[in-house]
Amino acid sequence: MARSKGEEPKLDMTPMIDCVFQLLIFFIISLKPEDVIAHLDVNRPQSDARAPQTQKTDLLQIGIYENGFTLNDRVISFGSLEKMMGRLADISKTQTVVIKCALESPHRMLVEVLDLCSKLGLKNLSVMSM
Amino acid sequence: MARNKEYGINMDMTPMIDCVFQLMIFFIVTFKLDNDQINEKIELAKSPNGPKIEEKAPGTMIVEVDDRGSLSIGRVVMNEETLFGIVRQAVNRIGNNNVQILLRADRRTKHVYVKRAMDACTRAGVWRIQFAALKKKGG
Repeated sequence: MARSKGEEPKLDMTPMIDCVFQLLIFFIISLKPEDVIAHLDVNRPQSDARAPQTQKTDLLQIGIYENGFTLNDRVISFGSLEKMMGRLADISKTQTVVIKCALESPHRMLVEVLDLCSKLGLKNLSVMSM
Repeated sequence: MARNKEYGINMDMTPMIDCVFQLMIFFIVTFKLDNDQINEKIELAKSPNGPKIEEKAPGTMIVEVDDRGSLSIGRVVMNEETLFGIVRQAVNRIGNNNVQILLRADRRTKHVYVKRAMDACTRAGVWRIQFAALKKKGG
């Protein structure tokens, strides 16, 4: 009692600040910044029950196989595919791109192609399986 | 006043601590709920050029395909028939133009498993499918 009377009124903040810092550090460490997710929109042609797709010549056909890509049935590397697609996209952005995926191909390759199309601004994408 | 003079300023911390704990519990609980709906083991493929997901449309369903090819929605593993049934139900309820399928497939998974998920959605009447991809890794 005598102490309180004589000294300045003091509130010891140290334990609270310690505690708050502990909490802060805990939250900073446990907080993982969220990944930014992109969405790649595609159309799915009607299932195989319908009549076989008519092969149109103005379609851009990209094939995805386990070990590489094809463009209109010609084997092509991803670099050249990028260049060719760039040139074709300059002509028209609304042309339909049909992406045919082999069953054994990894999903990563499909996303690579879809990403390329998105970069070039091609919007009419169809994904088919073969 | 007389009391204050005698004992110094007595700050009652109890309400503050109560409040902080309430906030903490609230954030911990909501954080968990948000995280439980997706499978963090799925490694998405990278797509630096794809459009960013701004806000999830109301009718969005997240379908996941993990690296071994199993289908799941909200961590509930299911087969194609169940997925078909769920999508069908959603289509019947809100119409197939309002159902949006967001497919989170692992980058290593084979196309055949992705195809199974897509086929189930297509059969239920949803032709437009979105693939989720990693635009920028956080942290």
